[in-house]
Amino acid sequence: MVAVDYLLAGMVSVLTGLDRVAFVQVMISRPLVAGPLTGWALGNPLVGLEIGMLLELLWLGRLPVGAAIPPDDTQVAVGATILSAGTGHFAGLDGMPLLLLSVLIAIPLGKFGQVFDKLARHVNDRLAISGYNALMSGNTAKMERCHLLGLVSFGLASLTTVMVVVLIGTFVLFSVAPFLIGAVQEAGLSLQYSLILVGAAVLLGTTNVNRGISLFCTAFIGTLLVLWLR
Amino acid sequence: MHTPHMNWLTFLRIYLRSFLLQSSWNFEKLQNLGFYYTILPGLRNIYGENVPEDVRERHMGYFNTHPYFATLVAGTTLRLEEGSCAGEESPIDAETYKNMVMAPFAAMGDALFWGGVRPLAALIGLLIASQGSLWAPVLFLLIFNILHMFFRGSGLMLGYVQELRAIETVQKCRLPDLAIRLKESTTILIGVLCAYLSFKGCEHQELPAVWGFVILPVVLLFAWLAHKGVSSLFLVLLTTSSLLLLALMF
Repeated sequence: MVAVDYLLAGMVSVLTGLDRVAFVQVMISRPLVAGPLTGWALGNPLVGLEIGMLLELLWLGRLPVGAAIPPDDTQVAVGATILSAGTGHFAGLDGMPLLLLSVLIAIPLGKFGQVFDKLARHVNDRLAISGYNALMSGNTAKMERCHLLGLVSFGLASLTTVMVVVLIGTFVLFSVAPFLIGAVQEAGLSLQYSLILVGAAVLLGTTNVNRGISLFCTAFIGTLLVLWLR
Repeated sequence: MHTPHMNWLTFLRIYLRSFLLQSSWNFEKLQNLGFYYTILPGLRNIYGENVPEDVRERHMGYFNTHPYFATLVAGTTLRLEEGSCAGEESPIDAETYKNMVMAPFAAMGDALFWGGVRPLAALIGLLIASQGSLWAPVLFLLIFNILHMFFRGSGLMLGYVQELRAIETVQKCRLPDLAIRLKESTTILIGVLCAYLSFKGCEHQELPAVWGFVILPVVLLFAWLAHKGVSSLFLVLLTTSSLLLLALMF
């Protein structure tokens, strides 16, 4: 992977990071989109798609309501894709085991995203005060500048998060890979499906629907019977 | 009632600016700067370049609603400002209206978009992605954003044209009921996805498909744990460490 690839991945990180809260919110920040986008920037969109699938449901039920900040699943997806499609190869790893290890290492690092996001919002507190003062003194252009400067703090928070995920992730990957790669290879597909199933269970548990369990069980049993008996 | 005179270019500017509503989201007054930034072309249309100080003051207070509902609030707010500028009597002023609707609209938007449309679109995307198709993210974005973009645009027009009657129109749409239907559909799709993965897992392990039913109580247990507040991270660590231990032992 060359410097241009990292630059492109960094741009994807900022763009998808801004989409979380600050800009547009068309959901390119969802792991299912951010993963393939990063993979595409690095020349391997399918790796990103696999990673996006594993991460999509994990925090989907955590609503970005008011001042609540969920873990940064966007940068986890971007960072895991960079680890998997780029830096991981230097550790002599490849394929599904590398992908799974990258995801497992990146998931806990999503907590850093919460911290940086919170910091960005505190920086915006000052911008909001400056913007208010500017507007009250009749300087509308300065108020608009203050408002748009908030994009910079959110963008920097995203970039810092992905850097932390990639740097710490690479270090951990190099450290644990020799011990875990065999087990990850062995667990392989079961581990991959389990991560999606955990995400599905979390979403089921956080979606408050009357008759939710009955609907879920009926759909599960019906689908499995159809697949089994066809 | 006065004749509305906002032109399409102003509407377009407000619509585009609404995408930047949360750019300076802050803990103090949340979306206050963003809301003023969004409605600024409309205020200029009403008051000219120099927006009066009292108008500036009242739109810079605490504001927080769902970002996709903000255009609806903006439309009505501007229409009320237009009326107030024309000396028209209104049962409530723009500031009171904003304070009155922002929380209910936020709750409606959260339930409809974050709790309803997004998980449903994501699950459809995941089912397609499980076939290895790169169309999955494209379809996810399409499903989500058709409704999202329509809502932003029509909300702005509805709020401006219908003024306070827009609230009744929104009530008639029964959006909370729609959110519940979407959540039910999501629950069904979670069941389909889990069954499909269980089946594929059995196929891969060369086990009879009936073993797939074993997954059902496990998913239910994890769902219960998540419902009780156990974090996703803990559940991932628990699953991963168990599977890796099993792989190391056997």
